[in-house]
Amino acid sequence: MALPRLIFVTGKGGTGKSTVAAALAMALSRQRPTTLGDLDGRQPVARLLGATMNEARAARTGHALEVIAITPRGELEAFIHRIVPLRAVSRRMLRSRTFGYVTAALPGLEAFLMLERLRLLAGKAALEDRFAVIDAPATGHALELLAVAKGIRNLAPAGTLNRLSSAVEEFLIDRNRFGVMLTVTPEELALRETLEAAAALRDRLGIECVGAILNGVAPALFTPAEIVKLRPLKAHARLAERRRGLSKFADHARRELEHAGIAVMELPMLYETALGADEVETLSRRLEAELIEAESIDR
Amino acid sequence: MKPAPTLELGEHRLVICLGPGGVGKTTLSAALALNAAIGGRTVDVMTVDPAPRLLDALGLSAGHSTIQTVPLAGLGAHRGARLRALKLDPKLTFDLLIERHAPSAAARDAILSNRIYRNLSTALAGVADYMAMEKLIELHRDASSGLIVLDTPPAREAIDFLDAPRRMLELLGSRAITLLGASRSVMRGRFSMLDIAARAVLSAFDRLTGLNLLKDVQAFVRSFDGMYAGFADRAAQAQALVRDEKTLVVLVTTAETERVDQACEFIDALTGMGLTLGAVAVNRMMAPMPAASTIANADLPAALKRKLKRNLDDFAALKRRETAALDRLRERVPAGTRLIAAPDLGREPRTLVDLVEIARNLLAHQALD
Repeated sequence: MALPRLIFVTGKGGTGKSTVAAALAMALSRQRPTTLGDLDGRQPVARLLGATMNEARAARTGHALEVIAITPRGELEAFIHRIVPLRAVSRRMLRSRTFGYVTAALPGLEAFLMLERLRLLAGKAALEDRFAVIDAPATGHALELLAVAKGIRNLAPAGTLNRLSSAVEEFLIDRNRFGVMLTVTPEELALRETLEAAAALRDRLGIECVGAILNGVAPALFTPAEIVKLRPLKAHARLAERRRGLSKFADHARRELEHAGIAVMELPMLYETALGADEVETLSRRLEAELIEAESIDR
Repeated sequence: MKPAPTLELGEHRLVICLGPGGVGKTTLSAALALNAAIGGRTVDVMTVDPAPRLLDALGLSAGHSTIQTVPLAGLGAHRGARLRALKLDPKLTFDLLIERHAPSAAARDAILSNRIYRNLSTALAGVADYMAMEKLIELHRDASSGLIVLDTPPAREAIDFLDAPRRMLELLGSRAITLLGASRSVMRGRFSMLDIAARAVLSAFDRLTGLNLLKDVQAFVRSFDGMYAGFADRAAQAQALVRDEKTLVVLVTTAETERVDQACEFIDALTGMGLTLGAVAVNRMMAPMPAASTIANADLPAALKRKLKRNLDDFAALKRRETAALDRLRERVPAGTRLIAAPDLGREPRTLVDLVEIARNLLAHQALD
């Protein structure tokens, strides 16, 4: 599994998408300078890494990790500044409510500008031998976003935008530059949504996913015979069953994903009181090991 | 099966469930609706994008967007109980809306075939929200509907849904749109430098893109001329409905750290809108941890006891994480808003019985405030 320059991390809500994106970026940053782009808008990644990325730690771990926020508003502002060169007017315009309607009048413009930004980011990464990891919106929104290029191209049968959207579309199906990584937890709904998302990406958009990260995997701990023995302990037995159930479902999920042609990497369930910088680093080490195993990065 | 004592839903005619994605909003909406129906009310639940199993449980098929009656046999429902479920189709609702408000058949066809409309009605964020609101008003007028439970579309922001009518109105009546070619009747104020700049942006985009969108946008806006009043009227109704005293707004979340952060943002946004939040419902709460002493006293091999202890420690750590998140949430819940919880079912709800269990747990057992 070769890694593309830009990895777009998405998944069902609650599958740890932002945490995984942060861990992946941290793992890759030990190999090459890496940009972590927050497309989700709530900056959970920045919050997760806030403590991690202090200078002392960066020096100790040799991280070369840069975190940037990519917002529809920011991309649109850049676009408007380009088009209305008179700063006084463009600035006033951006402050006014009129601004919002420009985007409303041109459906898909914001999303398209964000995709274009990803294309530029991947191009820069290739030029400077870097990686970019994107903490993308949850699956539903992410699919809509990725479909915008095709939509725009259909809308504009010729002209600049047609060329631009063709360029974005080519970028999205170029495995050297772009890849989708899906996060999934060992739960029925999450598994189903992941399989559907992978199929939709492939069939509707021609995008292959780089792989899935099965997040929250823990050893079964108990054998079926032991569970039977535990029954009189009611609540404890339920916890033991739950533990075993999660582990069994993780096996099942792994098989289903692999059966669908999706490479799977596993991250352990962290039974920790809080998820912070240290935990992200722990996960990043595991991912690094998995990536080396899959020959995605060098040892 | 007896229904749980309700969250004082008796007086309410509308329950709006809001919340971040992936917290089980649809499940809780369906559970609340079912529970109220079993209690003898005539209930309609409107869902958006439900999971297939939930669709099955409610007797809705994936393709359908018409209202379906959910069979309540075997659930011990009171006399007069009725539950109908409806899956929202934003595009279809928008089309019907255009048909209703268009001044003529020609105007209707002009809109339905307009390139901007075809994109707008599927692609523009907020259309699904607005259409849910539209359908809601329609249901609310139906006198046979005693209680409506509304599951809102997945949202990044709390106000996406509640704010949809206002944004739709602003869009249709806005200067940027107006200056594109709507007639004087919708025009507000006079043109300024800003309008000219907005127009410059739009036409630059057109030039840059070769889309020739401006022409279509103008045609689109013009075709809405005769319908503006109809839309404005509906939007005003929707806004009033959300603030009605018989409407209960429920924020659904889980006790995961990230979801709680989002829920807090939602609370701020709702408070900022001057809206009263009826309840915050925490879904999928872990059960309380059993005592460690039970393990020590059990007649089991030492190795198995060690595993049990480790398992307990692991889950207890997660429970502590949950408790910390919940404490943070509790601090932010406004005075007068109830904080309630539904324990984790340990499985995906598949049947109406599962839904009843969730509702009973939510409403009866685990009040946290």
